[in-house]
Amino acid sequence: MELGLEGKSAIVTGGSSGIGAAIARELAREGCNVAINHIRQNAQAQKIIDEIVAMGRKAFAVETDVSDYAAAEEMVAAVVSKFGRLDILVCNAGINWDGVIWKMTEEQWDKVIAVNLKGYFNYNRAAALVFKDQKSGKIVNISSINGIRGKHSQTNYSASKAGEIGLSKALAKELGKFNVNVNVVAPGMVMTDMARNLPAEFLNAAIDETVLGRIAAPDDIAYLVAFLSSDKARHITGEVFKIDGGQYI
Amino acid sequence: MTRVGIIGIGHGKFGRRSDANVQELAFEAFREAVADAQIDFNDIDGSVVGSVPEYHKQRSLAGVVQEYLGLNPQPTWLTEVACASGSAAIRTAWMGIRSGAHRVMAVIGCQKMTELSTAEILALMGRVGDVQWESGFGTTFPAYYALFAQSHMHQYGTTRKQLLEVAVKNHFYGARNPKALFRKEITLEDALGSEMVSDPLQVYDCCANADGAACVILAAEDVARKNSKPVVWLDGLGCASASVSVLRRPNLVGLPSAQEAARQAYEMAGVGPKDIKVAEVHDCFTIAEIMAYEDLGFCKKGEGGRFISERQSYIGGQTPVNIDGGLKAKGHPIGATGVSMTVEIVKQLRGEAGERQVAGADVGLTHNVGGIGQYCFVHVFRRE
Amino acid sequence: MFKWFGKVNFSPCTKVSEFARHLKDGRLMGSRCKKCGLESFPPRADCSRCLSSDFEFKEMSGQATLVSYTKIVAAPSGFENDAPYVVGVVDLKEFGRLLAWFGDTVPEEQISIGMNLQVVPRIFEEMEEIRVYYSLEKPGTTWSTTNSAT
Repeated sequence: MELGLEGKSAIVTGGSSGIGAAIARELAREGCNVAINHIRQNAQAQKIIDEIVAMGRKAFAVETDVSDYAAAEEMVAAVVSKFGRLDILVCNAGINWDGVIWKMTEEQWDKVIAVNLKGYFNYNRAAALVFKDQKSGKIVNISSINGIRGKHSQTNYSASKAGEIGLSKALAKELGKFNVNVNVVAPGMVMTDMARNLPAEFLNAAIDETVLGRIAAPDDIAYLVAFLSSDKARHITGEVFKIDGGQYI
Repeated sequence: MTRVGIIGIGHGKFGRRSDANVQELAFEAFREAVADAQIDFNDIDGSVVGSVPEYHKQRSLAGVVQEYLGLNPQPTWLTEVACASGSAAIRTAWMGIRSGAHRVMAVIGCQKMTELSTAEILALMGRVGDVQWESGFGTTFPAYYALFAQSHMHQYGTTRKQLLEVAVKNHFYGARNPKALFRKEITLEDALGSEMVSDPLQVYDCCANADGAACVILAAEDVARKNSKPVVWLDGLGCASASVSVLRRPNLVGLPSAQEAARQAYEMAGVGPKDIKVAEVHDCFTIAEIMAYEDLGFCKKGEGGRFISERQSYIGGQTPVNIDGGLKAKGHPIGATGVSMTVEIVKQLRGEAGERQVAGADVGLTHNVGGIGQYCFVHVFRRE
Repeated sequence: MFKWFGKVNFSPCTKVSEFARHLKDGRLMGSRCKKCGLESFPPRADCSRCLSSDFEFKEMSGQATLVSYTKIVAAPSGFENDAPYVVGVVDLKEFGRLLAWFGDTVPEEQISIGMNLQVVPRIFEEMEEIRVYYSLEKPGTTWSTTNSAT
């Protein structure tokens, strides 16, 4: 399938590692210029940039905290300035900080909500300002099956992931008339650094839940995101795509 | 073909008539006209009702009025062309009598507007423009005439002061008309200080919505000549239409329908503008009266502002206009207005206008416009 | 989709309904009679010159000159919260005439009869339903900042 992404410009937040890096690479393979942001991952970010430039595309990285409201607008402006346009926003940057609620501190709650939910608000808003005027754009927000179901020890994470779904659906309604698509991709367990650091029994429990008996590779997510960023998906908006190997049906 | 004369006139009190429904208002005017005509109302062989139905809760007005006036089973029907409905009813009755189908017809112009709120009236009246391409932008009736005013001011230098001088004149005469809504004179200062409605038209540039009715009885020549009062003949009729929308007018400084209707009426009656001794024109807004002076040929194009400044439309001036207060002071019950104008002209030509009498008035004219000028009826009356 | 046209729409049923869809895509359309060539704005399906109903849409540049204008202070129902607003009537460069609100790029004090304007297709951004209109802007104003046709 020809996705027609040649010459398009994309932002991928949290694009220096894991799912974000895979998305950044895949979009670049399909023809996009890509800007990524990260926090405290300069080396990894540079590696992704080098790979993308080697493909013949433009790329740059910004170190920034996605919960910073003003920095989001600055990054969008930087992309429009350096690439000449912005067509695609993929919000992916996220953290978790687990704990049962009776042991969860206020800081644990606030930090996860700020990075995951407010961070998506910051970038969705900054991109919407451009897309609305341009009368075109694609937004893909990476959520999680743990935003659709509840997960033990993740009142903060599940809340933020569910919040991203609400935000995306509402935004799809606001931006539809401007030819902008807003969709959610909700992975289950994905083999990233975050997952590798989990105890073995958690990983096994995840595989047992998954009808396809495997854990996703980051590229599995990236292919779906590339499709949703393309005009082949122009009639899809306000939708949530579980991509979990059947982990939660 | 027979000449057609006005043998009876009647006029109710215009205003906020929360004391009566539309058929009761019609009855007031009708009874006065029948008494004035000195006929048995059973001699009336048909009626035409002029009214704009959308403002009433009562459906199909002609039937209701006919029944209440005791005129069943005589034929009746409604004519509607927005604010010119009354004159359309008169033209229809004239055609009925001229054709020989009728001999004596009652024409009742009647309207209740105050069943609706002001905002509802503004919205409804605004829809007399092009609903498809204009109403979605929140246009109003005053806004349409304001476009004419801006254009006239730009092209001819007409001033806000001149516009409001029309209002001052009409309130002056309205104060002397017991049937008018507003019976107080106003000063130019009052007028200039009034609230803006649609720039440059202020509150005092605009006629008021009102309830009311008026009635005239038309008769074939042989019936008319039996009348003891002097007969006033309807000798000249002109009627023309124009585009509904301001988007399809040649210019925004005059009404082509009025120019054409006047030309026809003058030709039919064998008179010219200077022969008109007294006139009733459609001053829904002050700018409309100024354009009427020009469209009717009382003055040259562009000189309407000067005409009022020089008091040429007052008694004693070249052509007295709206000596009953016009729409401005009487109020404008839409369907009744054309008939109200006719009542005034007949009074003037008969010499019955008391302190508002124009001396020696033997030829008079009514100019009744519908909407933003998509319809215009001009009638010329003569007393022998 | 003519019901998309205008803040309040009283005439959703019309043979030139597609006008509103074109407007949503940023294109201002007049009409042309395929039989006799008569061009109209606003567009009309039925030709007033030859009575044919065979018409096609024709894209207008939107360049215009101001014929007259007024600032509406007393607003009709549905528009009370928008008042006051200024409407203008403009002659379109190619043919026809149009009535619309003035947009943000034309300060009120600069409005004068005869000025050049650009008619720009617009979307009512904060209404939940799709609603489109057009506005009078200073010459050179474009519908979108980039000229991407998606």
